[in-house]
Amino acid sequence: MSKAIEALEKGHQLSATSFVLDEEAVIRYLEAVEDEALPRLARAEGEAWVPPMAVAAQALRSLMEEMTLPAGAIHGSQELEFVRPVEAGERITCRAWLSHRSQRAGWWVLAVEMEGADESAQPVLAGRLTVMVPG
Amino acid sequence: MSQEAMGKERWAVEAELPSLAKTLSQEKIDRYARASGDFNPIHVDPAFAAQTPFGGTIAHGMLLLAYLSEMLTAAFGRAWLAGGRLKVRFKGAARPGDVVTARGRMQRAKGERGICSVECLNQQGEVLVVGQAEVKL
Repeated sequence: MSKAIEALEKGHQLSATSFVLDEEAVIRYLEAVEDEALPRLARAEGEAWVPPMAVAAQALRSLMEEMTLPAGAIHGSQELEFVRPVEAGERITCRAWLSHRSQRAGWWVLAVEMEGADESAQPVLAGRLTVMVPG
Repeated sequence: MSQEAMGKERWAVEAELPSLAKTLSQEKIDRYARASGDFNPIHVDPAFAAQTPFGGTIAHGMLLLAYLSEMLTAAFGRAWLAGGRLKVRFKGAARPGDVVTARGRMQRAKGERGICSVECLNQQGEVLVVGQAEVKL
């Protein structure tokens, strides 16, 4: 069940989620963001890579299945590290936890850390998201 | 000269990364919502968004980061996909009709990594996203 993000305690571990971005999803994403560089590079290297921001966006989406952001929430900052390229069709599992929770000037300031790993539990992505929520 | 040395030479301090510009529309924002699964009404529901402090729909922050990622992929290739780091703050909202420019500049070397300033601006020169990217050179 989805909970309001500001209701979560610092240290709260979100349930692990997993997803697969298949070739169709990659094509849909590339068309949406009009990315010409990744297909050119992937063709040159003979690979079927997923755009790194598609992996990050899907990871964030999967986290949002367990927590909700109220209207007026602001995406304040984003940190990402791409450990290695992800191939279309790979299953990625994400783990995340609330690493910061404070209240300042009428806003909750919340940070979520996340890690994405492949089926061998090897990291492919890490990140930190900061959200400001009125309250 | 080795490929590594060529990379270091190409990305001298103050070198500009190849910028790119994208014109936003509600249709493009909707397309991104379908591709990412993020249907927050602030992005896709004009009637809802009109009642918020933004006064209308705004683009997903992750769409702007996709533009930065395209620029960094074009500049650094595989080095961006394997070992690239990005740290940004969202400073302003991008709206339908805006022309978003993603640009960057090599700032300094830190060991074998290059550190670049990166930003997204709108057509008025207002900063929408600002931060740093790191890649292995």
